[in-house]
Amino acid sequence: MRVGLVTEGDFPYVGGDAALWCDRLVRGLGQHEFDVYALDRGRVRQDDGRVPLPPQVRRVRTAPPRTAGDDGVTHGWRTRRRFAECYGELVTAVCAGGVPAAVEGAADAGSQGSHDDLADRFGNALYGLAELARDKGGLVGALRSDTAVRALERACRAPHALRTAHEARVPDLLAVAAHLERALRPLSLDWYGDDALGTADLCHATTGGPAALAGLLARHFCDVPLLVTEYGVRLRSHYLAFGPDTAAPAVRALLGAFHGRLAAEIYRRAALLTPGNAHARRWQERCGADRARIRTVYPGRAADRFTEVGESPERADPRTLVWVGRVEPAKDLVSLLHAFSEVRKEEPEARLRIVGSPSGAAGAEYLGHCRALAAQLFPDEAEGAHAVGDNPVSFEEIGAPDAPTLPDAYAAGAVVVLSSVVEGFPVGLVEAMFCGRATVSTDVGAVVEVIGGTGLVVPPRNPRALAEACVALLRDPERRERLGAAARARALELFTVEQNIAAFHGIYLEIVSHCPVRRVVLDESGEPLPFATPAESRVPGRWTDPTARVLPRSTPTWATPVPVRATPLAAEGPR
Amino acid sequence: MSDLDDRTADRGAGTDLTESGPARGTWSPAGPVRDVPTPAGPARDAATPVGPSGTPAPDGPDRGAPIAIGPRAAAGARADVEGARKWAVGPRRGVGDPVKALLHRHRELCERAVDPLEIAAGLEAHGVTDRTAARFRHRDVFSLAEELYARVPRTAGPRPTTALPAPRIRAGWALLTLLPGALGAATVAGLRVTHGHPRLMVAFGGLLALSLATGAALRHGPLAGPPGTRAWRTALGTRTRRITLGTRACTFWLLGYALVGDGLLHAVLTGGPDTPPTGAPYGPWPTATAPVLALLAACAPAAWSAHLLAAGARRRLVGSRGLGDFTAAAKPLLYGAFALFLGALTALLALCGTVLHEPVAFPQALTLGALFLLARLLTAHRHRRAPALALGAAAATETTALALPLAGRLPGCAFLATPVETLTGAWGEAAVPTLACGTAALALLWHAGRTLTRASAHAPSGAPE
Repeated sequence: MRVGLVTEGDFPYVGGDAALWCDRLVRGLGQHEFDVYALDRGRVRQDDGRVPLPPQVRRVRTAPPRTAGDDGVTHGWRTRRRFAECYGELVTAVCAGGVPAAVEGAADAGSQGSHDDLADRFGNALYGLAELARDKGGLVGALRSDTAVRALERACRAPHALRTAHEARVPDLLAVAAHLERALRPLSLDWYGDDALGTADLCHATTGGPAALAGLLARHFCDVPLLVTEYGVRLRSHYLAFGPDTAAPAVRALLGAFHGRLAAEIYRRAALLTPGNAHARRWQERCGADRARIRTVYPGRAADRFTEVGESPERADPRTLVWVGRVEPAKDLVSLLHAFSEVRKEEPEARLRIVGSPSGAAGAEYLGHCRALAAQLFPDEAEGAHAVGDNPVSFEEIGAPDAPTLPDAYAAGAVVVLSSVVEGFPVGLVEAMFCGRATVSTDVGAVVEVIGGTGLVVPPRNPRALAEACVALLRDPERRERLGAAARARALELFTVEQNIAAFHGIYLEIVSHCPVRRVVLDESGEPLPFATPAESRVPGRWTDPTARVLPRSTPTWATPVPVRATPLAAEGPR
Repeated sequence: MSDLDDRTADRGAGTDLTESGPARGTWSPAGPVRDVPTPAGPARDAATPVGPSGTPAPDGPDRGAPIAIGPRAAAGARADVEGARKWAVGPRRGVGDPVKALLHRHRELCERAVDPLEIAAGLEAHGVTDRTAARFRHRDVFSLAEELYARVPRTAGPRPTTALPAPRIRAGWALLTLLPGALGAATVAGLRVTHGHPRLMVAFGGLLALSLATGAALRHGPLAGPPGTRAWRTALGTRTRRITLGTRACTFWLLGYALVGDGLLHAVLTGGPDTPPTGAPYGPWPTATAPVLALLAACAPAAWSAHLLAAGARRRLVGSRGLGDFTAAAKPLLYGAFALFLGALTALLALCGTVLHEPVAFPQALTLGALFLLARLLTAHRHRRAPALALGAAAATETTALALPLAGRLPGCAFLATPVETLTGAWGEAAVPTLACGTAALALLWHAGRTLTRASAHAPSGAPE
């Protein structure tokens, strides 16, 4: 099977966010072929160099870098009129509002129908623009042209437009047009022909947004089924990044509506969606994704390096609490320090190790603040009158002599604490679970989903509850051990790389079995060739082995000398 | 430490969960709250932890493990639970309308949001989860956000002043635009005082320096082309590059014609040329240095009028309500800037003529200057084709005017020279460049009046990410 992997320019290049995950996926599914299509994210990444790619990656295509200028293409009036029609339809659908409010039951069938109608208009206009870009090229200049801005103005002044859109002034219109041009860059790519994404049996977009838009167009042009993996919901990060101070209300309303419509179209057309956690899943469902087509696939972590620590619970110092992570205000270390002072009242011997480096300037400032607070709350202590004392709270970084590696940092603690007020998918918690340590965490983000029943959960911003949970665990080594073992078992079951890859393997097969690409193969005279793509062409593994085995008739087919690689991952098993 | 930290910048969170329900089954974090919410706040926080409560998760081997230690009032907890059961709300101080408190806390977010989903995203970033929303009797954060969005009056608050990045006056480009004029003056002075071989050196050196200086002056400041022109090497293909090169060649040809063209045409018409140009203003092949020097010095007024146009257009962009308003306001601006430049060029021409003691050919120089300014303005505002066409047409006309009399010398082709001879006979040699450049400049002026008065031509090139 051939998979077109569309990334946002971070996979085949060093330093991308999703690079590690995509690399593991591609390496883990060696029986499939991968074509990688990398969008550009504004920065030119080619200088950073590529990660070495395994042989199953047949080719890598990178979109040309973005430039602000137009492409110098001048269209004829017929093309211009077609463009104005499509763009006008698109912005009319956008100006009518974004994702509709949840409709309860069938009572509001009329408005539901009009929403469907608008969604259809948006989709058709989008595909119309894509076809225009494919036939005539030069969409970049057209999207910034006066035609586009005038169409936008007309749509904003139309009677059914959003109320905020009515107030749009000329700079707002220009800003919206420029943003739409950027967002619609994937339309101008030449990836949707029969020599590119058209050859794939499946298109896997590793993020929502532009990558999924490219997949959407491949689905439109070549009927390639689309799989969208979203670890962070694009629409949501758009809203967070595009706050009230960044632009005028009209711009924000129009762009929010555009991204909402785009997300809804992607969710509507994708064959399957794989959110990274239940939270992303809820957003997708809110934007109109069909619940039956969503499969949550947890991100996988390499468990190998935690194996040694996880199998030696005796390495833990029974009085030490450990916090591991990147220091930033959202982690609420202050509340952790206050909680620890409560712990010290109950357990005077307890120690707290905070392991992690600050992220950015804000993180460094916060770390300084926390250090000062720790020095204030806890005076240095010494064993006796003649010993040099030290603070019960220590701030360390990975690589320091006491914590040379990440597993060592977890190994030292009897209890791993997570005190965040805001959290996405808590990677640190998963690592602690791999290490078989009992955990106390705050009820934020996907924590409850990850921890299941194998650790203690307290409300966020509640130092006393945190302290009580820590004391309870510090005093009960048996319970600690039980929880730790359960957490490790749960993590090995759910959050390993192998689980992630196996899940995607299954999803690939499911998609290809449900919506296979139906290609018509023509012979030399142009006649369609029936049965040219047999069903076997989609079974995993290379079915066209150059040295086909000829078996004697007496031997049953299952008794081949070489084992057939049918379920490759089952053989490897979870480590 | 983790590759996923960035990617999952997903900030779903819970902050003001004053009572956490027990960690329920693993797969239903968004399920209904089963435990009765207990009023608990800082004032009510009690010291006694509560042991295992609620249902243990199915996969927890430790039956007491999946607890949530919620602070509960040790004394009177029962009564509180009773009260909560009755009202089923979990606000801190028993307010009748729990959403109101939340609304008050997130008032700014709710007032400035353009969309219920934006409120939902903001609430989640502040730590509100579905479990919190359940305390407000909502199924999830989305429906809570919808209520908040509906309840907050959408005050048309003070509109954020959309400050477009106004083009700034920088010392760099202001000085650079003076450079061609200064170098031109130096070259002309050098030509005047030297003779023989050094003079040739001065001429070549001056030409080289002038072309470099002019290029530098046109690459910075308000006359600079859009960024795309500089990126042609990387991406957007050979078309832009071809247009740029063609424009450049035509510009050189037109300047060259302004320098020696009239003299050459005269010599051609009178049977010459017999000698190469001497560089003197009078003689068999006169060289007109004054108009060229004035044109070089006019880089500065050109840059300033382009700056005036750009800055004025930005101001009118911010001020206008619709695209029609902007066009109406931008038209006088464009023509004003153009007239300003023509005035400055006339003054410069007169000055150069006086200083160099040369006759100044006003019509050719003015039309050529106008053509150059309009071409550059259009290029700077992302219209490359029309200037290239106009410059090309003007250069071609001048070339034809030179070639036709030469072709007329061939036997039997004398009729070819007739139009040029008629024209120069009526109005002199100056008629050829004046007509060529004047027509092209008029065409460009008409085009600029249509395109440069549109808002899209003055859009800031950067877009919000």
